[in-house]
Amino acid sequence: MKQTRRNIRRLCLVLCGLFVLLIGYAAFSIMTYGNRWFTSAQNTYARQKKSDVIAGDILDRNGIILAVTAEGKRQYHQDAAVRSAMVHAVGDEKGNVNNGAENFFSSHLYGFNMTLLERLGFAVRGEKRQGDHVYLTVDSRLAAYTASVFPGDKAGAVVVMNYETGEVLTQQSFPNFDPENITYAVRNHPKNPFLNRAVQELNAPGSTFKIVTAASALDAFADAVNRPFQCTGQLQAGLRLVTDAGTKLEEGVITSHGQLNLQRAFQVSCNNTFARIALQLGDEQLRKTAEAFGFNDNFLFRDLVVENSSYPTENRNEGEVAWTGAGQSALTATPMHMCLIAAAVANDGVMMEPRMLVKTVTPLGEVRTQGQSRVYRQAIPAEHAAVLQQFMRSVVTGGTGTAAAIPGVKVCGKTGSAEKDTQENTNAWFVGYLDEEKSPYAICVVVEDAGGGGSVAAPIARKIFMWMLENGYAD
Amino acid sequence: MNCGVKSVSGETYELLAMLMRYVFVFIGILILWRAYRWMRRDAKAYRREMKALPDAGLVGEMVDLHTGESQPLPREGMIGSAGDCDIRLKGAGVARRHVLFAFEEGKGLMIRPCRRHAVMLEDERVKGPAFALHGMQIRLGEAVLRVRLFAGLNVPHGAVFRRDDPTNVPYDPEEVSWADMEDTSLPPFAPVLECPEKDVENMSPAGMGYAGNYTEDGQMTWQFAAYPLEELQRVRQEQAGFYEGRTEEAEEQEEGIPYESPLPRRRRGMRP
Amino acid sequence: MSKENKSRRRDPARSLLSAVMLFFFLGFFMLGIKDGDWLSFLLSLIVPAIIFVGTVGVAKFFPSDKLLFVLTNFLCALGVLMLYRMDPQKGLSQAVSYGVGVGCMILCILLVRYMPDWKHVTGLMILGGLGLLALPLVIGTEINGAQSWIRLGGMSVQPSEVVKLALLLCVSSLLARKKVLISVAFAAVCLGVLMLQKDLGTALLYYGVTLVLVYAATGSKTLVGCGLAGGAAAALLGYSMFAHVKLRVSIWLDPWADPQGSGYQIVQSLIAIINGGAWGVGLGLGNAQTSIPYAYNDFIFSVILHEFGMIFGLIVVLVYAFIVIRGIMIARRSKTAFYALLATGCSALIALQTFVIIGGNIKLIPLTGVTLPFISFGGTSMVSSLCVIGLLQGVAGHNAAQIKEDRLLAMGGGETE
Repeated sequence: MKQTRRNIRRLCLVLCGLFVLLIGYAAFSIMTYGNRWFTSAQNTYARQKKSDVIAGDILDRNGIILAVTAEGKRQYHQDAAVRSAMVHAVGDEKGNVNNGAENFFSSHLYGFNMTLLERLGFAVRGEKRQGDHVYLTVDSRLAAYTASVFPGDKAGAVVVMNYETGEVLTQQSFPNFDPENITYAVRNHPKNPFLNRAVQELNAPGSTFKIVTAASALDAFADAVNRPFQCTGQLQAGLRLVTDAGTKLEEGVITSHGQLNLQRAFQVSCNNTFARIALQLGDEQLRKTAEAFGFNDNFLFRDLVVENSSYPTENRNEGEVAWTGAGQSALTATPMHMCLIAAAVANDGVMMEPRMLVKTVTPLGEVRTQGQSRVYRQAIPAEHAAVLQQFMRSVVTGGTGTAAAIPGVKVCGKTGSAEKDTQENTNAWFVGYLDEEKSPYAICVVVEDAGGGGSVAAPIARKIFMWMLENGYAD
Repeated sequence: MNCGVKSVSGETYELLAMLMRYVFVFIGILILWRAYRWMRRDAKAYRREMKALPDAGLVGEMVDLHTGESQPLPREGMIGSAGDCDIRLKGAGVARRHVLFAFEEGKGLMIRPCRRHAVMLEDERVKGPAFALHGMQIRLGEAVLRVRLFAGLNVPHGAVFRRDDPTNVPYDPEEVSWADMEDTSLPPFAPVLECPEKDVENMSPAGMGYAGNYTEDGQMTWQFAAYPLEELQRVRQEQAGFYEGRTEEAEEQEEGIPYESPLPRRRRGMRP
Repeated sequence: MSKENKSRRRDPARSLLSAVMLFFFLGFFMLGIKDGDWLSFLLSLIVPAIIFVGTVGVAKFFPSDKLLFVLTNFLCALGVLMLYRMDPQKGLSQAVSYGVGVGCMILCILLVRYMPDWKHVTGLMILGGLGLLALPLVIGTEINGAQSWIRLGGMSVQPSEVVKLALLLCVSSLLARKKVLISVAFAAVCLGVLMLQKDLGTALLYYGVTLVLVYAATGSKTLVGCGLAGGAAAALLGYSMFAHVKLRVSIWLDPWADPQGSGYQIVQSLIAIINGGAWGVGLGLGNAQTSIPYAYNDFIFSVILHEFGMIFGLIVVLVYAFIVIRGIMIARRSKTAFYALLATGCSALIALQTFVIIGGNIKLIPLTGVTLPFISFGGTSMVSSLCVIGLLQGVAGHNAAQIKEDRLLAMGGGETE
């Protein structure tokens, strides 16, 4: 009987554990996914309630109004160019853009966070309830300028963020559209303007992934910086052949870089060397570093929804591993994530969570919520980040990214030209940052089907940085 | 079913309902809090009760005849050398879980060996369920246990096992035993009867047969018949006078019969 | 012997009861204000009165545990409130089931309290139970994919709910006498029949309760390990054999893949929960009862979370937890293995059932066909849950009688009964 009693006591713990599990899971689930459930298109209740409320305004970081409800209709910025440039960050009324601010912050905009007293206040005054005003971290002038320098006929994305706080200064996707003018042509555009390529389009990052490979090498090899590599132009890895950019086997042209060290290989973006490094590291080690940078993680950022980047876990034969080191194979990442990686390197290895919300303000002018910066993770130790910072600087001073150089300013970066089977040309990638104390900004530019990263994407980044430095971002 | 009572406007009801949200949650928390307090209070009262009734749930005790120590005997349980057995023995030859026991109303203490372990009840090998009565000896391996059952249990009457055994543990005259209360008109120690099967039905009205004191024609002496508690207490006080000065040895010497009384209820810690 | 002094002023029973009565008075009053419905106003007086009379009355005449019954009444009345708000007809029929349920509960109390020996009845109960369980396969009707219902003149009954009680009693009785094999065999046969009927939720409950009881009785980790392994194997088997199990698991993994089709129910449930927020949208203001299919039995907890809020939902879960803890307390106070096991089995049953259904509502585990005890709509569900509570109260009554007997005997008293 004593035995039975003891067992019953243990069972009590188990049964209570069940309840604890229930409550804990509910709390976790609601806190992380709650907003996504609320803003989903299936939420008819929220939609009903929205009609009783005047939606609050959406403003950019400088107070410029991006969206406002006037005369019962939702109106966006007066300038069509600005409207179109901001459409993926702000969203549109009908929700064609997934998770734009209109939809994602609807709980603030439609007054779902209103206290009972405020509600009573409105009822007493006889006015229709008003939602909170939402201040986004994006800058509309920057967005307008970026849209003007991005090639008009190409698809792609641009992300600029502050690597010390995580604030996103612009996230744009091309092609974009005018939210006040959604025509048949827009709906049936072959390149899908509703898609927010900055956070939703997953592509192979190309040579920009070499940042991760280099970080992995620094982690695994004590002598990584000094180890000599020999680039032979062609590397046979398993059943695959790793070649460098510019190699045309049919014409017998083989690019090779001779002997070089890690920095030089990074500078000239030598596929051969990085494939070799990947094979020396082994898939496990490379994957570990990639996952430290956020690959294969379920991004649950509070302010925005970013598609998960993936480091492939199947079919890891030699050839695949080699090409992964160079940034191809089945790797996928969003421009936002690559920007986060560059930002992490710039920020001494600390990757900040991307933020879109500066603050929300009640209709009466009080600040209801203040956005807080949060560290997402420590991707790499600070010493390795310092080495990578040097590498990325060398790319712009004397490597593939010289087109991004600005005299008198320390621009750092990495180019990439990622191949995609269905395209004629490669995707041009450039990730980089400003190594300036007063201008801690990171950028990622992707131009799809456009050619080389150094020749197409880097100049765009340069222009954007220059504009920023001249327009209030230098202090 | 809208019969003549006007309902309020939607907007007013909405505000009222929103106010009531907090009220409902508050009442809910209140309910939880009071339920918790009730449980605590109940648990405390139960603990107090159990402390006042040290024999609650027990049917007697088992005396280890080698060491002389006695362990309280619950209604059901296990005898063995394992830590979680109700009666723990340390002798050699005692298995981890040796014997199962359970008190069965009207039959006595049922014992059953687990997994064909060797158990002797009064020098007879126990194979299936067997019934031990007060005074019997159980042998497991090298250990020997004496069963002692409380008075007032529902056992077949006359079921005190008499032994001519010098290892009998004498009862402590300090403990009040209401077996002491005897009718002076009867012989002090009525002969112990066998337990004829047919008499099992002729138990006292409440089914509580008592051991020992029966007249020869099966009638119970008046002390054990049912009567109010106050009466019993009054009688006890009267009888206390009778026993002053008499000791156990004197009685035994008088009769020449070793007397093994059923174990009286202990009254440690009880308020008068 | 001193009389027990209960300070009547601070009696925890009274204060708890008054809080519960106030809650439902306000609840029905609100509904009355909303619709201008005289019946609601009437109910706002009747329901608290029934709760009071029920709790005090049953405690006075039958040996029972008051705390348990108050908490149970709270949940039952909450169910009636929510169902009345959704559809007055359903609310009233739930109240009627409650009445019937309390009657059956009293029967169960008396059964457990006064049945002298379960040994003889066990065999009969096993046969009867298996027979009843197999009955729907022969003359039953299929509702919602499970062939476990029988139509009796307009009402549909689910015999598996009745056999649940028989299972508890038989398995406790057999395990108390250390007859592990027979009890496990009985449970296994029941499980087999239930799988044939495709009533997988109830099968899960039977399995869980048996496992809990086997552990409580024997404490042998090997047996429990085998049980768990067997259960896992059966689950995998079920998954590969039944198509609708596969569907349910895929919906559970990602309901957003098909939010308008197969995932509709769980998606709407999650949305209703988040719309409620911490405090709820307010009684009578929500839309969950129309947006979630089967909101009145399987997803009623989501409706509660929607209208009363997450904090209140937490409170309801804690009330269930208190009921389970109270049941375990009763089990630990029992002096005989049979009663201890019976009480443990009842508590485990309630805990498991609550866990399974609420887990399904919040997407912790895939949906099953189990109902939320006391709150879900359904006559058989309400009656069987109240019967389980009745068994628990019977054990509590037995404990109380035992203590009374001990106390009297210790005082050197005479007869007790």
